[in-house]
Amino acid sequence: MFPSGRRLDRSTALFVTLLAVGFLVATFDVRSSSGSVTTVIRSGAQTLVAPIQQGIDFVVRPVAGFIDGISNVAGLSDQNERLEAEVQRLEQRLLETAALERRVAELEAINDLAPPEDLATVTARIYSVGPSTFDQIRLVNRGSDDGIVIGQAVVDEDGLIGRVDLVTKSSARVRLITDPLVSVGVRVQDSNQTGVTTGRGDELLRLDMFDATQPVSEGAVVLTDGSLFPPGIVVGFANETKSADVGFSLRTTVDSAVAFSQLDFVKIVVGWSPLDADPGASDPLVDAPSFTDPGAGPE
Amino acid sequence: MTNTKVIIALGLVLAAVLVQTTLFQYLRPFGYAPALGMLMVIALARYLEPEQVLLIAFTGGFLQDILGGAPLGLWASTFTLVAFVALKVRDRQIPGRPVVLLGVFALTFIGQFTYAVLGTLFGQGIINRPGFIGDLLVPPLYNVILAYPVFWLVKITVRPPERSWTA
Repeated sequence: MFPSGRRLDRSTALFVTLLAVGFLVATFDVRSSSGSVTTVIRSGAQTLVAPIQQGIDFVVRPVAGFIDGISNVAGLSDQNERLEAEVQRLEQRLLETAALERRVAELEAINDLAPPEDLATVTARIYSVGPSTFDQIRLVNRGSDDGIVIGQAVVDEDGLIGRVDLVTKSSARVRLITDPLVSVGVRVQDSNQTGVTTGRGDELLRLDMFDATQPVSEGAVVLTDGSLFPPGIVVGFANETKSADVGFSLRTTVDSAVAFSQLDFVKIVVGWSPLDADPGASDPLVDAPSFTDPGAGPE
Repeated sequence: MTNTKVIIALGLVLAAVLVQTTLFQYLRPFGYAPALGMLMVIALARYLEPEQVLLIAFTGGFLQDILGGAPLGLWASTFTLVAFVALKVRDRQIPGRPVVLLGVFALTFIGQFTYAVLGTLFGQGIINRPGFIGDLLVPPLYNVILAYPVFWLVKITVRPPERSWTA
């Protein structure tokens, strides 16, 4: 196979060594906390690579848009019909919205919650995704220079997207709520029961409720409860009607409100401090900024 | 000359990983993207020395780790394993192009599966995910489609010059 036995031995030895190094680094990374050497490596490399990625993104975005446009021409007729049906459905929902808004305001008053639109946000553009389909992350072009710190919520007009988990001066990494490592404290709007959603790697989230005295109805709105994320942000809609099992525990699925495959611009909520946000961990390479005051944000 | 080739090869792998994280956020037929970095490593394994291929694979994988969300070292180990297997089979007599494409599929599948196992062992919960089978099978298929342009690119940039009658 190889010209000499010596060469085979050398390459096998190198292979085993590199594998060992890989496992060692992975173990160290898993066990280390934020601010460790591996975080510094990630932040430093991200700082170096971000301008290149943004440059490539700048070039390929119009090309990809053009290709996407061409591929969509055939489906425009179907899309038109679907949109007409969607408009009718939305008109129906508009009629229901007024009543719902009153109820939301009432619930927020009861729970002393701030409506999400009052929060200061920074608009950011996604310029990169994870390198494989296993990665549920996005990279955005705003960083600590813009007041971004680890732990801040990321939203768009549809609802909750994820949470900032790595920050450099000019970029940040967002871990999506579809990641199995991300859990979101939620409450179901119509029953006000609380639970936790956990990512499954696709656009369906698992909803676990441990004290469900009422069933969850199909289409019920699931909102953040205000623990790690600002309260009142739409997470998704219950996928099916389900009642609690024995012991009031209920497990069902939630359709995420956000179309993650079509994300472009997002908003990072800088005007709300999650309970576990750690400004000191934002980026070991730069000075950590303080939280922006609500209402005094850049936008 | 050899050093230049190694630098070019490393550049190709790094470029593949960067393109993977940018271009393929827009082009994701059926929600999946090819594993371009892995494909580049497979292509390079045909032309470089074994040690060079292993080191380049590890470096490319490490960059992919840095740009991803999983613990560092998982893609590095995966790329190294794929490169090693590719080195093991590269000098065999391969009868025809379909078998080469089948090899690309198999090597990418091995890479995806290895990463899924490693990721699960390191707490990423990959194997439990609903679309897991698609994650294993579709990127290798896309790699088969992209194999010819990538192999051609590698061939014209890092292939050793063929001996002429004057050599």
